[in-house]
Amino acid sequence: MKLTGSLSFRNVKGRPARSLALMILTAIMAASIVAGTITVTSLKTGLGALEARLGADIMVVPASAASKKDLENIVLQGSMGYFYMDRSYYDKVAAREGIEKISAQLFLASASAVCCSGPLRVSGSAREAEFTVAAWIRKSAGGELGLLDVVVGNDLSVFVGDTITFYNVKCNVVAKLDKTGTDLDTAVYTNTDTIKKLIASSLELGMNDFKGIDPDKVVSCILIKVADDHPVDEVLNDLNLHVRRTKSFKTKDMISGVSDSLIGVSGIIGVLMCAVWVLGLVILFLAFTLSVNERKKEFAVLRIAGASRRKISRTVVSEALIITLTGGIAGIVAGLLIMLPFNGLIEESMGLPFLLPQAWVIAVLCAGAAVVSAAAGAVASAYSARRISRLDAGLILRGDN
Amino acid sequence: MKNIKSRIGGIILFILSLALTVGIKAVFPACPPHDDGSFMNCHWAEQSVSGAGLALTAISLTVLIFGSGKASAGASLAMIPLAAVTALTPDILIPLCKMPMMRCHTATHPAVIVISCLIAVTALVNAVLILRKKEADK
Repeated sequence: MKLTGSLSFRNVKGRPARSLALMILTAIMAASIVAGTITVTSLKTGLGALEARLGADIMVVPASAASKKDLENIVLQGSMGYFYMDRSYYDKVAAREGIEKISAQLFLASASAVCCSGPLRVSGSAREAEFTVAAWIRKSAGGELGLLDVVVGNDLSVFVGDTITFYNVKCNVVAKLDKTGTDLDTAVYTNTDTIKKLIASSLELGMNDFKGIDPDKVVSCILIKVADDHPVDEVLNDLNLHVRRTKSFKTKDMISGVSDSLIGVSGIIGVLMCAVWVLGLVILFLAFTLSVNERKKEFAVLRIAGASRRKISRTVVSEALIITLTGGIAGIVAGLLIMLPFNGLIEESMGLPFLLPQAWVIAVLCAGAAVVSAAAGAVASAYSARRISRLDAGLILRGDN
Repeated sequence: MKNIKSRIGGIILFILSLALTVGIKAVFPACPPHDDGSFMNCHWAEQSVSGAGLALTAISLTVLIFGSGKASAGASLAMIPLAAVTALTPDILIPLCKMPMMRCHTATHPAVIVISCLIAVTALVNAVLILRKKEADK
């Protein structure tokens, strides 16, 4: 039977206001599933990516800059801060036991580049092939970092082979990093010699006051990869005990706050989704029950005309399916129109790592939302369908019901 | 009721066009000017979208006034290319800032694309429905 000619379809079309209201309700329910699950999945993907990219086990910073919040900001917001310590600490840390790899970073905050309208963060690494960054290089020209070579974050609109200018110094982009979903995506990494050149040029131009920073004498933080045969906690305690005026942190602890926030946000989203769905299901159930009740005589006439009980209950359920599936698809489209184009805005406003899942995951989520919406319609109308199919047509038409 | 029903397309188009015109200035504007008062590229994209939004609002009023007449279908069809050009204005016709996390990329660009596409689709559906009804009435 053609859909446009079916009884259920004509019933839906015959009551446009009621059908539209129920479709809007189902659309809101489907949109809440799509938007909620994409948000939670994106936060989990972002946290996973961040954890995977913390190449170092321990970070050592000056004791004066050692508030946990500051360190979370370094990881998430890329706010490099202006803390520095003497380079001699690098040697003191390197001399301790259980250290497999060690690298120092010097943060040079808020440099502006010709390419970009906003501030950038330049980070100089003592080791050119620094292990914390090497793991997330997505595209590289290969080779060691030379003078004026830079590795750029994913959100910068420059590509491998391009140049990027800081304080009138043209630097070559030799590698681009994978997206982290944090403000570290606008960071720039380079080597100590390049940092020196940038500082000299900025002082010449009078653009920044970097007078107190000598890349040969100071570092901002020291990153450590612990040897496999040493527990991280043991090395951490040893560093905190023996390297004075510094504070050492486990990098995984630094993102525990993020993890807690993620659990909190996911919980709130889950509660909201549940509330929307419980309310929606109750309204759908009442709407279908009332609608069937007021059309008892209509169904009784159909029974007398020869329609089977099964045909009548199928008509009621099909009506519900047409409404909830149409509303569900509209809701899925609306949810995608919010989540996909505005993911940058959501990432910015949440201040948490936010990476959209892969296309196939989004497709599965949408298919799931469509199935759940249709199932909601079937469940909400099942009771009415069963009731109407068992009523006595004669009694109803005599008005004795 | 029938009068409102025949004007639903026009009402939706008017609301969307007004949302674009007001939104680009008040809700999802481009990046603010530099400290020295100079503007970035995205400001000119904002100005252009604002102008196109005004034109779309004016045409949508025509659609609303003529209801289900053929003039309404014609005005709806005229909105489609204008909405398409509006969607292409930020980033393609007028480049935006280069950092993807700037406001013009995260808010202005997606909002203009979504609203312009909704206007184009609604205008097309409205025109098709009006013309089909006219054919059926013959």
